[in-house]
Formats: sequence, C-alpha cells, structure tokens
Amino acid sequence: MIDQLFGFLSYYVPEIISIVLMTTLLVAEAGVKDENAPRTKIHVYTQLMLGVVLVCLLLNLGAKPVHIFYNAVTIDPFSTLVKIIMTIGTMGAVFLSHSSKDIYSNLKSEFSIMAVGVLIGGMLLASANNMLTLYLGIETLSILSYVLSSFKRDDSTSTEAGMKYALYGGLSAGIALFGISHLYGVLGSIQFVDMVTKLPGIEGVNLGILMISFLMFFVGIGYKISLFPFHMWTPDVYQGSPIPVTSFFAIVPKMAGIASLVRVSFVFVQEGSPLAISWIGLILVIAAMTMTVGNVTAIGQTSVKRLLAFSSIGHVGMMILGVVVMNEAGVQAILFYGIVYLFMTLIAFYITSHLSDMYGTDSYDVFRGLIYKHPVMAIIMASVLFSLAGMPPFSGFIAKFNIFSVIIQKKHYGIALVAAVNSVIALYYYMKLAKTMIFGTPQGEEKVLGFTTLNQTVIIALFIPVIFLGIFWDSAMALAGNATLFIK
Amino acid sequence: MNGILNWILWLPIIGMIGVILTPKAKESVIKFVTLLTTSITLILSVLLYLKFDTSTADMQFVVKIPWIEQFHINYFLGIDGITMLMTFLNALLFFICTLSSWTIHKNVKAYFALLLMLQSTVFGVFFSLDFFLFYVYWEVMLLPMFFLIGIWGGENREYAAIKFFLYTFFGSIFMLVGIIALYYATGKGVDSFNILAHQGGKFTELTVNVFGKNFSFEHLFFWFMFLGFAIKVPVFPFHTWLPHAHVQAPTAVSVILAGVLLKMGTYGFLRIAFPIFPMAAVESSTIIAILGLISVIYGAFCAMAQDDVKKLVAYSSVSHMGFVMLGLAAMTTQGMNGAVLQMFNHGTSTAMMFLLIGILYERSHHRWIVKPDGSKGYGGLSTKLPKYTTVFIIGMFASLGLPGLSGFISEALIFLGIYQRFTTITVIAVVGLLIGAAYLLWMFKRMFFGEVNPETEEYEDMNAREVFYMLPLCVAVIVFGIYPSPLLNVMKASVGQLVDLLAKF
Repeated sequence: MIDQLFGFLSYYVPEIISIVLMTTLLVAEAGVKDENAPRTKIHVYTQLMLGVVLVCLLLNLGAKPVHIFYNAVTIDPFSTLVKIIMTIGTMGAVFLSHSSKDIYSNLKSEFSIMAVGVLIGGMLLASANNMLTLYLGIETLSILSYVLSSFKRDDSTSTEAGMKYALYGGLSAGIALFGISHLYGVLGSIQFVDMVTKLPGIEGVNLGILMISFLMFFVGIGYKISLFPFHMWTPDVYQGSPIPVTSFFAIVPKMAGIASLVRVSFVFVQEGSPLAISWIGLILVIAAMTMTVGNVTAIGQTSVKRLLAFSSIGHVGMMILGVVVMNEAGVQAILFYGIVYLFMTLIAFYITSHLSDMYGTDSYDVFRGLIYKHPVMAIIMASVLFSLAGMPPFSGFIAKFNIFSVIIQKKHYGIALVAAVNSVIALYYYMKLAKTMIFGTPQGEEKVLGFTTLNQTVIIALFIPVIFLGIFWDSAMALAGNATLFIK
Repeated sequence: MNGILNWILWLPIIGMIGVILTPKAKESVIKFVTLLTTSITLILSVLLYLKFDTSTADMQFVVKIPWIEQFHINYFLGIDGITMLMTFLNALLFFICTLSSWTIHKNVKAYFALLLMLQSTVFGVFFSLDFFLFYVYWEVMLLPMFFLIGIWGGENREYAAIKFFLYTFFGSIFMLVGIIALYYATGKGVDSFNILAHQGGKFTELTVNVFGKNFSFEHLFFWFMFLGFAIKVPVFPFHTWLPHAHVQAPTAVSVILAGVLLKMGTYGFLRIAFPIFPMAAVESSTIIAILGLISVIYGAFCAMAQDDVKKLVAYSSVSHMGFVMLGLAAMTTQGMNGAVLQMFNHGTSTAMMFLLIGILYERSHHRWIVKPDGSKGYGGLSTKLPKYTTVFIIGMFASLGLPGLSGFISEALIFLGIYQRFTTITVIAVVGLLIGAAYLLWMFKRMFFGEVNPETEEYEDMNAREVFYMLPLCVAVIVFGIYPSPLLNVMKASVGQLVDLLAKF
C-alpha cells in the first residue's frame, strides 16, 4: 500500500515541487522585514524552482501514460505538454511581475505564491481523471485567480474585476458541479474509466439528463476559457487586473481549461453516439460564435489590454475547433497552437506592460512611433501581431493552418469559411496597432525605461520560437503529435 | 545550372542582409549594395533566358527539397515559359526601381531592405510549384508592400496600405481554404501540395457539402481561387483598392505594383485556377469575359474622369488588365498568347508611365492635370522638356496600343483570340481601346501642349540617371513592338499545353 503510494508519487514530482515552492514562498515572504524590499532573491528562487519543474516535465514527456492515485489522476504526454506550456507561462508572468509597476513591490512574492497556486490547479485540471479531481482543479485555479485579479487593492477597476470574476466564477462552478452530480446520479461513478463503460447502456430519460448534465458541465469549462456566451467577464477582468496577471490569465487557466475540454471530449464522446452529435454540434456553434464575437468586439477597443483580451477570446474559439474533429490530428493542432500562442501572448503583454508602466496607460497612443525609439522592439511587436493574425512566415500562420487543415479534412467547410472571415477581421485590428507603432510619429524622444537589456534579451529569446516554428515546424509538430497519446 | 533559381530567389535576401548590416548614415553604400544585388539578379535572369529550352512545356531548372515531411511539403521551384517572362520582367523592373529610388532620403536603409525583400517574395511566388510555399510567398509579399506604402507613401498612405493589405488577405484566405481542400481531395499523398500534380481536371466528379447544400467541388473551389486571384489582378468589382494603393505609393512601389504584382493575379489563373479546375474554368469563361469587359470599359471611363495623372494611369491599369482577362477567357491559342504577352507588355509600358509621373512629381510636387481649384497643373511641358516629352510619347503610345509599339501586338492577339468565342464582347471591347486612346491623348494634350504654365518654367529636363533607367524600357516597348518573337517563342510551349488541356473540356 505504502509502496504503491510512493510509486504514484514518483510520477507526481512536478506537482510536488510546485507545492513545495508555494509553501516555501509563503515562509520566505513572512521573513521579509522591509515591506518594500525588492525581493530579488525570492524571485530568483521562484524562477529556479519553476525551472526544475519544467525540467522534470520535459523528462516526463516520453513516459508511457499511467493512471495514478487509484484512477484519480492521469499522467500522459498530453497532460505533460500542457503542463509545460503552463509552467513556461507562469515563469513568464512571474518574470514580468518582478519588473512591472502594476504589481506593488510588497505584493511581488504574493503574486508568485498565487501564480504557482493557479499553476498547481491547472496541473490538476490537465491530468484529472475523475470528476472530483477535475472540479478540484477548477476551483483551485479559480479561487486564486479571483485574488490575483483584485491585486491592485486601491484601484476600483481591479476590485471590480475581482468581484466580477468571483461572482461569475462562483455561479458557473456551481452549475458545473450541479451537472457533475447528475452525471454521478446517472452513471453511478465519478471515475472516468467506470463512467465510460456505463455510457452505452444509457437511454430514454437518463440519456436526456445525461445530455443536460454534460451541457452544465460544459458551462463550467466554457466559463474558464471564456467561450461565448460566458465570455462577458473576460474584458473587464483583463482590463482591471494588473498586466502580469492578465498575461497569466491569458495563458495558464485557458490552457488548463482547453486541456480538460479535450480530455472530457475524448473520454466520453464516442463517434456516432447521440452524445457525440450534440456535443460536436454544440462546440461548432460555440466556436463560431466565440471567434466572431471576440474578433468583432476587438475592433472597437482603445485599450491594448482589452484588445488582447478580446483577441484571446477569438484565439480560443479557433483552438477549440481542434476538438470538433475528434481525432489525434485535432489534438495535435490544438497543442501546436497552444505552444505558439504562449510565446506570442507573452511577448505582446511584455511590450504592452513596459509601455504602460512608462506612460501610465495602455491606449494605442503609447505605441505611437515606437519604431523610432526602439526599432527592434517595434519590429518584434509588429511581427507578433502579424503572427497572431496568422500571417506567414510567422508561427501563428502554421497554427492557423493546422486548425484549418483538420477541419477541412473532416469536410467542415462552413466553419472553415467562418474562420477564414474571422482571420481577416483579426488582421484588421492587429494591423491598426502595428500601423500606430510604425507609421505614427512619436510624441517624445524619451526611451522606454522598461526596455532594459535583460528585458529586451528575454523578449528576443521569446521571439525566436515565433519565427523558428513558422519555418521549421516539423519537430514541434512531432512533439505535439507524440503528446496526443493518452488513455481513453 | 539547377541552382540558378535558388540564387535568383535568395540573392535579394542576401542583399537585404547586407543593407541591414550597413550603418544607417552611409546612405550611398546602401543604395549601391541594392543596385549591385538587383543588377546581378538581372544578369542571372538574362542568363536564365539564354539557357531556357523553348521546345518543352515542362518545368525547367527544378529544385525540390523536402521541407515538412509530415505534410509532404516541399521546397519546390521551377519555371516554364510563362514564368520565364515574369522572372525577367521582375528582375528588370527592380533594377530600374533601385535607380529611380535614388532620390529617397527618408529611412533609406529600411526602404531598400524592404524593396529587396519584396523582390525575393515576388520571385518566390513565380517560382513556387508547391502550394504551401506558394501561399507563404503570396502572403509574405504583403508585408513589405504594407510598409513601403505605409511609410513612404503620400498623405493618405495609412488608409491605402491597410486597404491593400486587407483586400488581398481576404482573397488569399479563401485561397488557403481551397489549397487545403485540394490537399485532402488528393488523399494526402506525396504530391498533395504539388501544384503540377493537381493539374489536368482531376476533380470534376467530386462534390462538397457546405451549410447543408451540395456543391460541385470543382466549381466551388474554382471560385475560391478566383476570388484570391481576381482581387490581385484586379478584376471589376474587386478593383477598388488599386487606385488608392497606386496614388499613395511611392513611385518605385507603384511601378512594382503595376508592373509585376498585378501579374501575379493573372499568373494564378494560368498556373492554378485554369489547369486545376479546367471544367469550371471553361464553364465560367463567359462570366470571366464579361468581368474582363467591364474592367476594360469601366476602367477606361474612370481613367478619363481623373484629374490626378497617377490615378489616371492606375485606372488605365484596371482597363489593360481587363484585356488580359479577356485573353484568358478566350481560351484559344491566340488569346492566351496575347494575354501572357500583354502581361509582359503592360509591365513595361505602365512601368514607364509611373516612372515618368514620378520624375515629374519630383519637380512639381503635385500630380494634378487640373488642380482642385480649377487651374491647370501643367501645360506646355513639351517646349521646356524635350527629352521627357519624347520618352513620355513612347510610353503613352505603347500603352494605348499604337501599331509598332508593344501594346498593339498583345491587344491584337487578344482580339483575334476572343473573337472566335465571344463576338459581341469583342465588339464592345474594341470601344475600350478607343476610350483608352481618348483619355491618354486628352491627358497628353492638357499636360504637354498649350500655353506654358508659369509654374513649370523652372523644371529641369531628365538627367542622365533618369535617361539611363528609362532607356531599357523604351528599347523594350519598341523592339518587342516590332519583333515580339523572342517573347512569343519562350511562352509558346507552355501556353499551348494549357490551351490543349482546356480544349478537352
């Protein structure tokens, strides 16, 4: 028994290290005497530990899929890759938080604590193999997120963001839990493995209940990844939260949510069953609406943070199209999209953060004429924007291409057209920002203080994959392809 | 010799890196690096022409290297007769544009770097025989264009740049859907991104289901591709981006836009839309012919109404590209030959017109034939600027199709070709020629004859540099007007193959 548990724990090293990190951070922060000390050592420690987590995860990539903790958790290449994306996202956000003025200096290590906590929740969610773990993941992720979004305590928009997030989140988590309990009622188990075996025998009234409970469950996840019509909170929360938090929200909870959506779809939805038809139809419609609403609303934005918030809604709409096709290629496309999206989002938020720290606002104006002040940063930002819009030779194009490829393979031409029109709309608003940056004339000559050598180096380093994966995407695709291996 | 396409394709990129590495202050070094690069490219393309085997329609100088194994994407280059002409035109025009851009003083480094990048991507579009590679080049080409128009353009440059970008992107994203659909239609085999492997009417039987309705695969994706290419040409009603882009773009960019970029649209029909979907192409030829006809007539009338001489030439491009569409729609040997020849000849004659307008603009800083306040913009230029007037006459007459100059041959061939299929359309299209003559001559009269406008007293005639770069174009329009065989021989086999294919449907 004990041996077995230790055996399980050996698969769970990344999570354990994260938990250790979180608790030691709590202790370390308690030991800081000066409120406004820079906390550089704590920051370096956090990054190092997250680095160790990352290394462990990378070593785990090739491992065979296993169920641990008596079927409660699955460790497979799919969840490991998602965890890698989330860990890099966390490292990125923590790095940004250290130099950002949006996070008060006495809250800097608290940010790390919360972020690592959310990461742990995300990891739980990504490898959840029963309904309870899944719900636990959602809640761990959410409750810490509420705190994060209201991090600027004396700022009314930030408090509003936290409040909104908590209210919406609480409601949707409740609905999801309600759905889960009905699932338990119908199927008699919370273990995915047991539930699946009972699925084919369900018919009549029970089938109706099953479908409705799946729909409720979908609401919970849909809220987390801000699908239409549960996306209303996103812009306000994104805008109200400090920028490092926003960049964090755009990556970690989203990837976790998408991972669980993928897993649930693949575990429960067998091709041809009544559940499959309605589930796929639901996701198709929701994806089309999410993309369109996200992109169309983004056009009118004047705040870059809000713009990125709406554009992230659009991207999620695009990503979940990979679920619709219900095959390995779809998952591969989603994972590749996730990898690329991670780097693009981080760069976009980094540059926005440094500019908004300098000028105290994140309107388009702070970007005006950036090319004359920081040509390299402006070119990188413009490239990232074009990449987000899906222009070759940047990796965003390949990500989009893969999604198009899988949906057209399954002959969903209609949704392909919707996605096509959406890319044009997306290009328009990204281009507006790129235009301001490059065609505009700057108001002042001053350099942006945030672009220190270190920050610029990090941004350039993050930019390399954006270009590289756009031209030589063979290996990354193979990586994503291997990660589609999971237990059904 | 097989690597020569690689050299032509990547040399501009090497030049671009050279430009980027040169310190910003050394503007003349930057210009000479660009000039050196474009002249070597030009020499290589002449070499390519000399080595070109005109007896075969097969692809020549083929380079094929696997790129993405999982999707069977190859780095696959090759040229046939049609692309040979376009390659030469592209190399020539960029060489000339480098010289004409000598007067650029704003952000010299970025300008020439982008110009070289643009040249490489245009070569890439013409050389690519792999759909994926083709699409990548087709899209990447938008980036340098966007910045060239947006930074060095006229007053309304941002609007023009965005409109150009969005319009083309809109068309090409539909093309992307078509490309992926073709990929899966052929069963993901080794050749499923190979443009040549799709050719020959292999999809006539397939149907697709969109929003619950059944469509013929061939027709649906023919129109998808059509949209992508027609916007580029541009065919009426997709032409509205063109006048803005032309008027706002700096001279060299206008030359490239009219000279080679528009040809990418018609090239797309010749290489992709027609050979891959021959049945749909033949069945839609009436619609294409009518759209071409509308472009001819409507473009000509629009040109006549312009007070801005650059906008006038821009609309004349719409009209002249309409002739190319007519030639394509004819689907006969003469019509197709005429269309390809017109692609080349329009490239040289419009380039002349835009360069000449650019030269004049550098002196007058406006382009009004009639200023908005009603006064004359120019007048009596012929007495003050004899050299300029001579070159202008050559360019203008080549453009309106005077016998003996290049435009005549191609238009005559197009009419010969289309008369065999669409008599009524031919008759109406001839009127387009007449209107063309009318607006060009009327413009000429208002600018060059009459009283000398006092504002133009101070203008200097063309200097040695300007004469030097106009010379090759003058020679081209005169020589190919009298003796077009060097061009016709090169394209004969390739065009013949396409006509034979279309004749089967």
